[in-house]
Amino acid sequence: MKWLSLLTNEWIKIFSRIRTWIFIALPILIIIGVAVYDKVATDTEVNENWKQDITRTLEDDKKALEDAKKNNENEIYIDMLESNIKQNEYAIENDISPYEKTTWKFMKEMAPISSLIGLFVIVVASDIVSSEFSKGTIKMLLIRPYSRWKILLSKFLATLGFAFVMWLVVIATTWLVGGLAYGFGGIDQTYLVVTDTQEVRERTVVEYVFANIGVEFIELTALVALSFMISTLFMSNSVAIGVAMFTMFAGNTIVMLLATKDWIIYTLFANMDLSTLIDGQNQLIEDLTLPFSISMLAIYTAVMLAITFTVFQKRDVKA
Amino acid sequence: MTTHTLELKNLTKKIKSKTIVDDLSFSVREGEIFGLLGPNGAGKTTTIRMIVGLISITDGDVFINGTNVRGNYEKAMEQVGAIVENPQLYDFMSGYKNLMQYARIMPGVTKERIDEVIKLVDLEYAIHDKVKTYSLGMRQRLGVAQALLHKPNVLILDEPTNGLDPQGIYDLRNYLRLLANNGTSVIVSSHMLAEMQMMCDRVAIIQHGKLVRIDEITNQEDEADVKVHFQIEGDVHEAKKVLSDMNPELDVTESGNELIVQVADLKSIAGLNKQLVLAGVLVVGIQRKTKTLEERFLEMTKKGGDLNEVAVPVNE
Repeated sequence: MKWLSLLTNEWIKIFSRIRTWIFIALPILIIIGVAVYDKVATDTEVNENWKQDITRTLEDDKKALEDAKKNNENEIYIDMLESNIKQNEYAIENDISPYEKTTWKFMKEMAPISSLIGLFVIVVASDIVSSEFSKGTIKMLLIRPYSRWKILLSKFLATLGFAFVMWLVVIATTWLVGGLAYGFGGIDQTYLVVTDTQEVRERTVVEYVFANIGVEFIELTALVALSFMISTLFMSNSVAIGVAMFTMFAGNTIVMLLATKDWIIYTLFANMDLSTLIDGQNQLIEDLTLPFSISMLAIYTAVMLAITFTVFQKRDVKA
Repeated sequence: MTTHTLELKNLTKKIKSKTIVDDLSFSVREGEIFGLLGPNGAGKTTTIRMIVGLISITDGDVFINGTNVRGNYEKAMEQVGAIVENPQLYDFMSGYKNLMQYARIMPGVTKERIDEVIKLVDLEYAIHDKVKTYSLGMRQRLGVAQALLHKPNVLILDEPTNGLDPQGIYDLRNYLRLLANNGTSVIVSSHMLAEMQMMCDRVAIIQHGKLVRIDEITNQEDEADVKVHFQIEGDVHEAKKVLSDMNPELDVTESGNELIVQVADLKSIAGLNKQLVLAGVLVVGIQRKTKTLEERFLEMTKKGGDLNEVAVPVNE
């Protein structure tokens, strides 16, 4: 299969750049840094007497809730306080320490690092097509005995492969660092969520961690498809990086502003944050569910890829 | 029977309403070096881009080894090596890794072949350095190396002498000749006339996207418009008078200490010399100059007149 060599080539090109290694090293350093800082800075006594601490928080929250109600403050704020209070009450009653740390808890807490991975993946995905155009190297590649779609597919799969490998490396590092810092146990550890009906439920941390690993693969695929499309359409990696980052980060703000509109759930950026849908905490749009968002992302990804391949196949290369 | 490795049939490229390449047809034989000559913007590079499939063909067909590029691109491109404009390589990788990129995806490239090609383009000393440290000439040579890796029988080089030093140009010319002798068809584009003249067997002159004519670069002994330069010691004006008086229909011009005479056939040169000598004119040198490709090219493209002074004679 000579075609696989195209994939090997793309893979080599990605890893021949220093940038790629920095992208991999940075999250690892952050993970280690967070664990070390946490170990050094955390007062173990507070952790042992967690009930006192939580009780104090509980009282503060109750006071804040009264004030908020008196002053007719934002509903979301009131809701948040109420659910915090419920969670803490449940924790004290059932003896579930929110401070108890294991490697799984650490992995759950470190989950937002996926945004950083997303950012780096955007850079690589945006670059892999457009930089070949801007440097003119695309000519040397396209005059080979391969149809254009094969060349583009090799680039897409190489980027996807890079994204997945990076995510898995980060997952493994987090687990290892977390394990060394807090112990590898806690597979049955639970945490508390508040449901739509304002009930407090226990969920296992491991369940969340694995769900998060899974949805991140889906998010990364959509992100790669998006960056890929823009970089092929505009042949400019800065435009592609800009648009993809906007979708990823500013997306949340836009969703918040337009949360009341019915059509918002059909937009790409409303569906880009799957991890909040795992347990439904801090969800911006109540209507969204995990299956719905995954379906939306699948449709968007398919359409974006179709556009990318069609345009790439027909483009006159004048680089 | 001559085999044609590359055939263009009524090739046309239109971008919007502008015709860049207009109904271009020619065939390149096996084992010849074929030049595409034309001023900047004549459509040489556009033609090459259509041949290798970088841009779409508006109309017409390109056949490489009998396979239509529009029909079966992958098969057609198997036997093609090319550089389109400047060879742009991956700066962040070494020359060797760049070659490996292409070696991996082309059929039948062995490690020995890679080393052979590197040696051929004389890059052994720098092949493991990153390409960003390369000079233009080195990049050009690496570009030639990647085009040759898979032993293509159609080699297309767009402005291959760009950035090469005289030694590099000389080596390239010799190597291309060697390839051609082994049956490779080499297509070279350039606006450098002298270069084409020295390198090519045939040259297609292109202007405004149209084929003006195809010239065989051969020993042009029998060429009709031969100019003879008589180098005269003494009074050139007097000598001119001698010739003009004896041959009223003859076109004689003075140029420094030379008389330039347009003759219809080669035999008359001896006759003219005899006339001069008998008239007591000291002829210290006789030189025959056929009309050069450059002159013909400029005539054809109507950009200038007689540039004999800078022309490179064909049969010297």
